[in-house]
Amino acid sequence: MAEPAYLVASDSETTGEEKSSSPFPDIAIGIDIGTSQCSVAVWSGSQVELVRNTRNQKLMRSYVTFKDEIPAGGVSNQLAHEYEMLSGAAIFNMKRLIGRVDTDPVVHASKSLPFLVQTLNIGVRPFIAALVKNMWRSTTPEEVLAIFLVELRAMAEVQLKRPVRNVVLTIPVSFSRFQITRIERACAIAGLQVLRLMPEPTAVALLYAQQQQQNVHENMGSGSEKIALIFNMGAGFCDVAVTATAGGVSQIKALAGTALGGEDILLNMMRHLLPDMDSHFSTRGIDEIRRMGLLRVATQDAIHKLSSQFNVQIDVDLGNGRKISKALGREEFEDVNREVFEKCESLIKQCLHDAKVEVEDISDVILVGGCSNIPKLRNIITGFCKREIYNGINPLEAAVRGAALEGAVASGVNDPFGSLDLLTIQATPLSIGVRADGNSFVPIIHQNTTMPVRRDVIFTTVHDNQAEALIIVYEGDEKAVEKNHLLGYFKITGIPPAPKGVPEINVCMDIDASNVLRVFAGVIMPGVQNPAAPVMEVRMPTVDDGHGWCAEALNRTYGSTLDLVTVQKKGAH
Amino acid sequence: MLSLFPFHQQFFRPNSLQTHPHFNLNNPVWWRRQNSVGVVRCNRNGVEESKSYYELLGLCVDASPQEIKDAYRKLQKKYHPDIAGEKGHESTLMLNKAYKVLMKDDLRKQYDASIGKISDNLRGGSIWEGSLRPQALFVDENACIGCRECVHHAGNTFMMDEIFGTARVKVQYGDDEERIEISVDSCPVNCIHWVDTEELEVLEYLIQPQAKVGYGIYGQGWERPANVFMAAKSFNKQLKQQEENQQRCTKSTDEEETPAQAQARESAYRELKVGRFARLWSWMKRSTSQ
Repeated sequence: MAEPAYLVASDSETTGEEKSSSPFPDIAIGIDIGTSQCSVAVWSGSQVELVRNTRNQKLMRSYVTFKDEIPAGGVSNQLAHEYEMLSGAAIFNMKRLIGRVDTDPVVHASKSLPFLVQTLNIGVRPFIAALVKNMWRSTTPEEVLAIFLVELRAMAEVQLKRPVRNVVLTIPVSFSRFQITRIERACAIAGLQVLRLMPEPTAVALLYAQQQQQNVHENMGSGSEKIALIFNMGAGFCDVAVTATAGGVSQIKALAGTALGGEDILLNMMRHLLPDMDSHFSTRGIDEIRRMGLLRVATQDAIHKLSSQFNVQIDVDLGNGRKISKALGREEFEDVNREVFEKCESLIKQCLHDAKVEVEDISDVILVGGCSNIPKLRNIITGFCKREIYNGINPLEAAVRGAALEGAVASGVNDPFGSLDLLTIQATPLSIGVRADGNSFVPIIHQNTTMPVRRDVIFTTVHDNQAEALIIVYEGDEKAVEKNHLLGYFKITGIPPAPKGVPEINVCMDIDASNVLRVFAGVIMPGVQNPAAPVMEVRMPTVDDGHGWCAEALNRTYGSTLDLVTVQKKGAH
Repeated sequence: MLSLFPFHQQFFRPNSLQTHPHFNLNNPVWWRRQNSVGVVRCNRNGVEESKSYYELLGLCVDASPQEIKDAYRKLQKKYHPDIAGEKGHESTLMLNKAYKVLMKDDLRKQYDASIGKISDNLRGGSIWEGSLRPQALFVDENACIGCRECVHHAGNTFMMDEIFGTARVKVQYGDDEERIEISVDSCPVNCIHWVDTEELEVLEYLIQPQAKVGYGIYGQGWERPANVFMAAKSFNKQLKQQEENQQRCTKSTDEEETPAQAQARESAYRELKVGRFARLWSWMKRSTSQ
């Protein structure tokens, strides 16, 4: 994976000239903001290249430290030591916190991080603060992410010698649309325009599609369809995708994902080594933060070592007369994290089931992300898929390279050698529907539907002379409506007086290729051609922070007075 | 399932919109413009919307799933918004819908049934006005220059295929004999032929353009036999030969070939025969129902 030298800032002027006179000045760059690490890549005119920072790093730690007057992120800042990141002054893991409310288990799991994550458990945004000169200075995950993106943008502009505006970002499969709006907001603060948001495994799928396409060209072999299973596990999230690839087109068959990653494994191990960790850490004084940092670094090292060796000795002096000295075996590690690995396996099973693909049909199994070195994980996947892991892809660079490819394709760049003769056909990771038929979730666009998509379902009123109806839009796959993510709500007014069940209320949802969701709703009376009232077009999500309250408030205020029921039983599945 | 059905009706019977008000809401253009006056007009204008799923994908009705997949991918590479920009949205929606229906056996059967009834301009041969006659009209589309003379003189018999820019027979004897005579004579390249009715089916089948497999984005397109009459002759000859072979083999011993080979050959033969029969049968049915 040797990169051309021009990426180094001090390289000759001529290569720089070439870059600035590039025929595609607006070509979007690919950014992979990982929970722990982050990278930027761009189509150079003939291939994808990773952009390096001034310290010649391709992968940069995702954190922002507030210890100085001006906050500094992992792109420009050099950590003196890992402990500096754990001093409480640095905020990291923002990807796990962004767009989540304080009742979310993932937020609660983050309370053992060195910075402050305060929860009031009422369904609002958690309070996050960094320790600066012994004071908790408040911030938000969006702000932290924006500061970090500004640094990434500045770095890319210096290296590419042109302004950077358009980006393709990779996101976890399990991100809700509300979380996506937070990411977009952070990009907007950083002056970046989001061209596409790609679920991480689909970016890997595009890179795989390109490789397959090249193989076909080189060997003049058959361009037959290949099914690949992509498993991506980083520090924060675990994603699975099944893709069918032929002729440079990657068609996503199914997606599955959850907020589960190396961070959870680390936390399990820390609790295993220090069972009363949480009580130890409750007051969060400077000494306690330091001790927690020591434990965290020692555990992290041990986990890394267990990928290559079977036993590891942990010796850490937490001060305060507290010492941990323990020999840890790989089996013990696997046992402590059994649930994590089981969850990974069930996610793969679910994804294959949703894609209607049998294990025997899989041509390649691709394993990427920071956790891809864990032997247990590799064993589970090779055992389950009865196949060796595909080795043509760098597990830490796959997602960002795919994002850069998508950036070039969606920016309209053509490659004379056909290297960009590519396309990803995305699928919806979660169902989208409305509350109807009492307190049920009625999906309108189902999970794993090919995008872009437009679907509609016809509803009707539940009361005689019902003049208004409430459309409450949710995203998710839970039967009980309140377990899904609320995306927004609006009211249809001006339904002409009629017995219940007569007016037809058509709710149509449209998702375009850039993943923008529009909800349309109109009222039609039988025998009348034109809608009874102007049709509503609402771009979703409309909810803002504290949205946990909205559904409950609506319920309290309106009860079932503005309810709807389905006419046609659930559209095509 | 149900939500798909209005979709067919919308595309194949634009006039039925008046009687089914809620179909308006299905009209994509309507959503964009929110102008219901334009509903019918938009439907007519949108070339793609009046096509069947098969026409949309450039396939014949008996396309295999693999052919559907290939056509879908090729068209996606042209129309997907990633490549074509915002304007690709509507076409991609259509492609996705067509693909979804044609790739699912039950949905495809249901769809095939629905177009069999209402779509009369589907590629697959002419239909008969009145009873069968020994002679039939056939346009050699290879020779046709798309002058529209025949359509002008006998519009009930001939039609233009706007995709390929050639004329073809829509209804056998759709106009009176005089008009047909004039139209045949009016053809500047003499590409309208009187053929034997038995030959017609094979000729119409062979003149249908078949998608040509491309390499990357190059070399794709359509092809048909250069001389359709010669092709029909050899096709019939092959068919006959196969029939003879079949008879000879059943008469003689099966010792030369393994049972598996025999079975494969038998099923191939049956497929050919049944395919031919099915086409003839549907053609007969259509002509009698007129």
